[in-house]
Amino acid sequence: MAEGRKMDKANHDERLEKVMNQLADSVFALPDEAIVAEVSEAGFDPDEEAAHTRIVLCEAMQTLENVNSHLSNLGHTVDPNGWYRGRSGYHNTCVNCGSFVSFTIGTGEVRGEALETRCHENGQYMTRRREASRE
Amino acid sequence: MGHLFSFIETTPPSLPIEPLEPSLPPTKSINASPKSALVVENDESLVNCFRELLKKGGYAVRLASDAEEGLRLFRECGPFNVVLINYYIPPREGVGIDCLAPQQTHGVELAMAIQHKNPSQGIIIVALDYQRAADVPRPPQLMHIPVLTQTGNGQLRSLLETIEVHRAINALTRSELLKLQRIAKFRIRGIGRAARGRDWEDLLDEAIYRTLIGAKDTQNGRHWNRSVSFAQHLKGAVWGIADYWKKQFKDERIYLVSELLIHDAEGDDYSPIDTVPSRQVPADQHLIDKDEKERVLVLFGDDREALQVLQGLMDGLRKTEIMSRHGLDERKYAAALKRIRLKLLDRRNDRGRG
Repeated sequence: MAEGRKMDKANHDERLEKVMNQLADSVFALPDEAIVAEVSEAGFDPDEEAAHTRIVLCEAMQTLENVNSHLSNLGHTVDPNGWYRGRSGYHNTCVNCGSFVSFTIGTGEVRGEALETRCHENGQYMTRRREASRE
Repeated sequence: MGHLFSFIETTPPSLPIEPLEPSLPPTKSINASPKSALVVENDESLVNCFRELLKKGGYAVRLASDAEEGLRLFRECGPFNVVLINYYIPPREGVGIDCLAPQQTHGVELAMAIQHKNPSQGIIIVALDYQRAADVPRPPQLMHIPVLTQTGNGQLRSLLETIEVHRAINALTRSELLKLQRIAKFRIRGIGRAARGRDWEDLLDEAIYRTLIGAKDTQNGRHWNRSVSFAQHLKGAVWGIADYWKKQFKDERIYLVSELLIHDAEGDDYSPIDTVPSRQVPADQHLIDKDEKERVLVLFGDDREALQVLQGLMDGLRKTEIMSRHGLDERKYAAALKRIRLKLLDRRNDRGRG
């Protein structure tokens, strides 16, 4: 009996998902003016909604840029393709010293030893400026 | 240095621009348009390195060996998608830019001038002789500009990708943004509890992360293939991420509390679950999801055609099958679908769903 209810529930979940997928697909196929009219009809301001969506996308970019900039400022170097996805966020390690860094999806919270200490392996190289080539 | 000048001088004046690779996609939209880059650098080895990297990325490259030439090209041939400026580009005299007060460091003035002329210009400062971006002395006006301190580890490629994605976001039209928002909302509602309380904004956030992170493989990221528009790419990313969240939710092993009990020194049992926040779907979320299914059907109780379409979609029928089963023509089907979308994402029904 309980098993049957569980099956029903899973079935219902699948069916609801199919509906939502079809609706999502139908949105993308709409002409530009139709989606704007539809959003207005639903009681939203299309300009506000579009601007809000753009902000959401830009903020996600900013989060990642902040992480990279913070790491760079501390002398760490991470492979931009080396981020791997964990359960709640992304993780990476400095290619020089191996320090760990992670940031959490949603909150954008950044953690890890790479954000607390300077890259100790980076200091082994002397700062060499190309003054000679400029003269 | 002399060798570099000869390299530039041997380029015919009528053809100062590197031709695009023939295999590049046609110029259909802003996202697929030819990209151009200006490199202001006087070190020949670096010029070659940047030129190759940029060409591989589909950029048409113009080269300048000093600030004066760089500014001339910028004025005459811009706008560029990206400008790479050597931090130590030789100082210039009498170029006659009246935009900003000259700074104490060479090279920086050029970036400031370019940015002043075109604030949205994607500028990268190359400072390879510094270990860290923080060490590069820059005036406050340029602190936000990305600094390249190493050419290894795909740093330049990553910076270029970031600039391109930024431009692509800014180029998204109102209707594309609205569509992406709606698609994300429907996908979140579709996966229900598997979303674990995440909303459509989290879904779009994740799509951007994966775009920027994932050039390497599909496991960790989603590389933006330039043969599709950015909006289409994001739609695909949103779709895939929602599927991944759902799979992740399904794959989770369920443990019995008795399997996790720990005995302390005094022989008492305690559960480690008590010490960490629960990852389970909260009871209130469970109720919301249950309510969601009932609510969807109740919403269309007085709309026979919408209910027919809804039922057909739930049964996995195709559009033509639904239309023939219920005798609906194209117009009626589209109208019913629109009413479903409107009711589900209506401001009054959408409250509390972000």
